[in-house]
Amino acid sequence: MTEWERHAGFDLSSKKALVIGFSNPAGAAIATSLAEAGAHVATASSTLDGDEVMNAKRASKAIKALGKQTFSQGWDVTLPVNIQVGLRQICKEFGCPDILIYNADFALTKPLLKTTDTEFSKVHQINLHGAFATARSYVRELKENSGKIIFVSNIFGSRGLSNMAAYSSAKAGISGLTASLSQELAPQVNVNCIASGWMDWTQGRGINSVEDNLLLRFIPSRRFGEASELSALTVLLSSEAANYITGQTFTIDGGVSTHL
Amino acid sequence: MSTLQEQIDLSGPPRRVAIITGGSHGLGLEMARTLALAGADICIAARGVDRLEQARQKLQAEIEREVLAIPTDVTDSSSCSNLIQKTLSHFEKLDILVNNAGIGDGPGRGKKVWELSDDEWQNSVAVNLDGTFYCTRSAIPVMQQQQSGIILNIASGMGMRATPQSPGYAASKAGVINLTETVSAALARDNIRVNCITPGLVAQQPASSSTEKQQQLDRGKFITAGRLGEAWELGPLALFLCSDASSYVTGANFCIDGGGLAGGIAPTGYKPDINGVNDD
Repeated sequence: MTEWERHAGFDLSSKKALVIGFSNPAGAAIATSLAEAGAHVATASSTLDGDEVMNAKRASKAIKALGKQTFSQGWDVTLPVNIQVGLRQICKEFGCPDILIYNADFALTKPLLKTTDTEFSKVHQINLHGAFATARSYVRELKENSGKIIFVSNIFGSRGLSNMAAYSSAKAGISGLTASLSQELAPQVNVNCIASGWMDWTQGRGINSVEDNLLLRFIPSRRFGEASELSALTVLLSSEAANYITGQTFTIDGGVSTHL
Repeated sequence: MSTLQEQIDLSGPPRRVAIITGGSHGLGLEMARTLALAGADICIAARGVDRLEQARQKLQAEIEREVLAIPTDVTDSSSCSNLIQKTLSHFEKLDILVNNAGIGDGPGRGKKVWELSDDEWQNSVAVNLDGTFYCTRSAIPVMQQQQSGIILNIASGMGMRATPQSPGYAASKAGVINLTETVSAALARDNIRVNCITPGLVAQQPASSSTEKQQQLDRGKFITAGRLGEAWELGPLALFLCSDASSYVTGANFCIDGGGLAGGIAPTGYKPDINGVNDD
């Protein structure tokens, strides 16, 4: 009997990755894990907010400390031209990424009647339109090469919650984008999504006390997730061992979205 | 904070102990192999004694560590209980249970729901759903006492879509997906995580002839990825879900199906074109 050609699941040696979005701790955790798994990792912020740009730079510094090549840029993902030019420069200076992680995240918690058109539009531009524009520019740069796209989203895209109409609808769009692009781009590009639950940075989560926070008692794991807990799956989905996985939204949420 | 390599290392100390039902061939054997190579002590279980022994010897030769094989009929709750107890008395603990034993509709395949006899219906339900329940029920007290454990169920894409040609199989696999969620919610406070892998069309073993190779290629044309999955591809995903790398994942269903379930509302490769811009 012939043997299958197997690929290691958590090995990204000689791969190049680009992580976009450092407004939450997931960006840095994922970038570091990709580098630890052997990848060279470029970073880009999703907005020109000073703190986020600096977070991207710091992540880049950590990657360099691991002995991997890196490159860092400040992006504003609401401007598709910025994405296109930024990605072109990364391809030129750093090399075309084999792996693209989109972690741009901009939350808004407002009642329907108080949400302005401008606010709704900004939430959708960063969370959803930026993801679309980034994927488009990335696939252009890939040409004939194969690639992996991983969107980091969350469970607000599949479940409703008061005051989150703008945010939830944008995150729901990410799952649709994932499913559609998986069909359109197969088998050249694998497209998947990781949906986190209530993380230790999620806005509106309340205090970190099971006794005093009803929300925590509602989560089967009875705790908030940590950024590092999104890393392993990102590395696995980025690897050649995950070539048969595409179009999926994977939930990492301590079980909160499974029960009634 | 541990590194990813530390998280997926099952060699301990203490070394993790894993049971894989349906572990004598195909997906089960490949998952057993991956967990074994990651350092776990392995017990494989299956009905067919000869094939089980062959698998045990193959695994043992590869990892150069003792592999346990316990003939088990998962449709019999006492057999499932025996599997858990024997593994426990041999390795003194149980960290991971992979409920992989599964079977198709057999003689009932291709029949309409209303044509199925009781036995034909039970053929797959007894193995796929009852077996998962029996093994899980036997393992839970052990894991509760340890205050740790991981249960991984193997469902099927057919459990997520209408499958008129295999009603028993599809319904039983749908049951496995819900059982995963229900048990996960009940056990989270005992630090026991319960997850599910839903494979799409996956070849159980590499093609052994050119005819078989062609059959696999032909079937693969109807999948978004353009090919069947290979059984080894479940290994890394199983390792993720059976290790500390998935510490915040419970009650989740992980599909590995070459994009089949993400599509499925039109023929494979269909591209709506109302603006005349298709490139092919």
